[in-house]
Amino acid sequence: MLLISPSALGRRQFLQAGLACAFGALSRPVLADGRPAAHAGLTATLRAGKTRVRMVGDGYPPTEVWTYNDLEPGPILRVRQGAPFRANVENGLTENTTVHWHGIRLPNAMDGVPDLTQKPIKPGERFEYAFTPPDAGTFWYHSHDDSLVQMGRGLAGAFIVEEAEPPAVDRELLWTVQDWRLTDNAQIAPGFNNRMEAEMDGRVGNTVTINGRVPDAVRVRAGERIRLRLLNAAIARIMALRFEGHRPTIVALDGQPCEPHEPTDGRIVLGPAMRADVMLDMQGEPGHSYRVVDDFYNRLAYTLVRLEYDKASPVRPHPLDAPMRLPSNPVPHPDLTTASVHEVQLQGGMMGGTGMGGGMMGMGGNAVWAINGQSMTGDGSLGMPPLFQITRGRSCILDFRNETAWWHPMHLHGHSFHVLDRDGTAVPHDIWGDTVLVRPRERVRVAFVADNPGDWMLHCHVMEHLTGGLMTIIRVT
Amino acid sequence: MTRRKLFMLLASTAVSAPALFTSQMTRAASPIEATLYKNPSCTCCEGYAQYLEKSGFKVTVKPTNDLAEISQKAGVPEDLEGCHTMFVGGYVVDGHVPVEVIRKLLADRPAIAGITLPGMPSGSPGMTGPKTGTWTVYSVTKDGRPPKVFATI
Repeated sequence: MLLISPSALGRRQFLQAGLACAFGALSRPVLADGRPAAHAGLTATLRAGKTRVRMVGDGYPPTEVWTYNDLEPGPILRVRQGAPFRANVENGLTENTTVHWHGIRLPNAMDGVPDLTQKPIKPGERFEYAFTPPDAGTFWYHSHDDSLVQMGRGLAGAFIVEEAEPPAVDRELLWTVQDWRLTDNAQIAPGFNNRMEAEMDGRVGNTVTINGRVPDAVRVRAGERIRLRLLNAAIARIMALRFEGHRPTIVALDGQPCEPHEPTDGRIVLGPAMRADVMLDMQGEPGHSYRVVDDFYNRLAYTLVRLEYDKASPVRPHPLDAPMRLPSNPVPHPDLTTASVHEVQLQGGMMGGTGMGGGMMGMGGNAVWAINGQSMTGDGSLGMPPLFQITRGRSCILDFRNETAWWHPMHLHGHSFHVLDRDGTAVPHDIWGDTVLVRPRERVRVAFVADNPGDWMLHCHVMEHLTGGLMTIIRVT
Repeated sequence: MTRRKLFMLLASTAVSAPALFTSQMTRAASPIEATLYKNPSCTCCEGYAQYLEKSGFKVTVKPTNDLAEISQKAGVPEDLEGCHTMFVGGYVVDGHVPVEVIRKLLADRPAIAGITLPGMPSGSPGMTGPKTGTWTVYSVTKDGRPPKVFATI
């Protein structure tokens, strides 16, 4: 049995940083007394290229993936809130690439969208990204060029911005969850952008990994409190995680703190690109094992991983009595009374009224999806007018109306928004995010202050929906 | 079930499904057994299964996220895919193929992998809306021969 213990996970995380350091890829400035100067920031080198990793288990050959620094997922980048970050990205692929720093409110020129915010990085070329993350939280980075294929083959990693005063926990775990469609010999199956799947829910795979491996168990200790950072880095799979025998408390979504709360029905639902910070008080029996089950898809529930308790007696008799609430981030609060309201109709797809092979006004080429009747396909079409323009500093409400039969995790670049209501019912717990999961036929409203000038992508994060037209731009001037 | 076991199960299902059902055709008179693989979120496929049940079939519906792989391994080219994939009598039947065409296939038993009605034509079994044009059902093979017209309706 493949057993990934916390120490192994920890070692792997350390290994990622350590390896990178060994190759000079990651370097943290060091103070005179030898302590790393976290506040002085982080400079990383990320080299996109191909490598082989053992993902499924020892009975299978290694899987060829596209990675940063030969690590799958890419190296965990940790930086202190408010400290400068730099990344030298080298393109070792045979096609163009860029890196998008998902969820981080950064200058437009650093956003990593090819031909919109920068020229694509050609094979053999480099680009330096530099920004200072204003918000603490769980973020991530991934390719934004040929992103269906490049992310689908592995170009993604976690970007953790540490609070100046993090909450008291015994341990922190990061689960970067990825979904792969593997062939019988554990290679990534060809056939990206399958026409039928593009009109349904995208390329959902057959193998789910945590931190690059198919896991069976994570070792835990009774009584400890774990901060679990969950990142859904899949290109299409939606997850609904249940922690059997446990009561996880969500303390942040998409990096932004919320009121600590237990999820509805105990299920943590995360669409592609979404993150949750979860507090887990390990109240299970020593020596017992508990399943973490993903039951999002009807009749396709499976055990993602097991929490395996050490036989030792609990580290404390009662759950840790420390506040779970995370410190606030400096995200501006929108003024709903003066906000400009923009309807965003999500259209198309199978069973959407047009059928396969159908088309809509404004759809051309491979378009099967549209926003307000217009389809921006591929990695974005130059020259297409923005959905709307808004004056910098104004509050804005996006009124998503999902007219399709499918779920859409809608992602806005450069901003974090407040999730207001779903089908007219106010969303509790003060939820903020950069990606909101919109159910079939659902109406969801989010609000934000358009305080970041530039052209910003607004798109579905099911990658085949993006390339098939569920993408647009908003302009903040 | 661990994720790895699931992975292996899915891989083997897709490979062995046609062979499994060959033997069941030897039974006569009783309902014709079929297994229909569908996207877990697609509802029109359920309508198609009900349509077949009314026509003397016994359909086992299996949701899967591996539909594209299953149909491809069964010999259906990507541009001719329907929205679900069914195995019956040793053949693949892809999409909303009317029952009379399936009966013809099972009666004639041609040396092909199966048949497909591409897309989701309006008015076809399980689909809403009026029939707006001629439907072309193609025969497909696994040996690289190009698809041929099997029936037009």
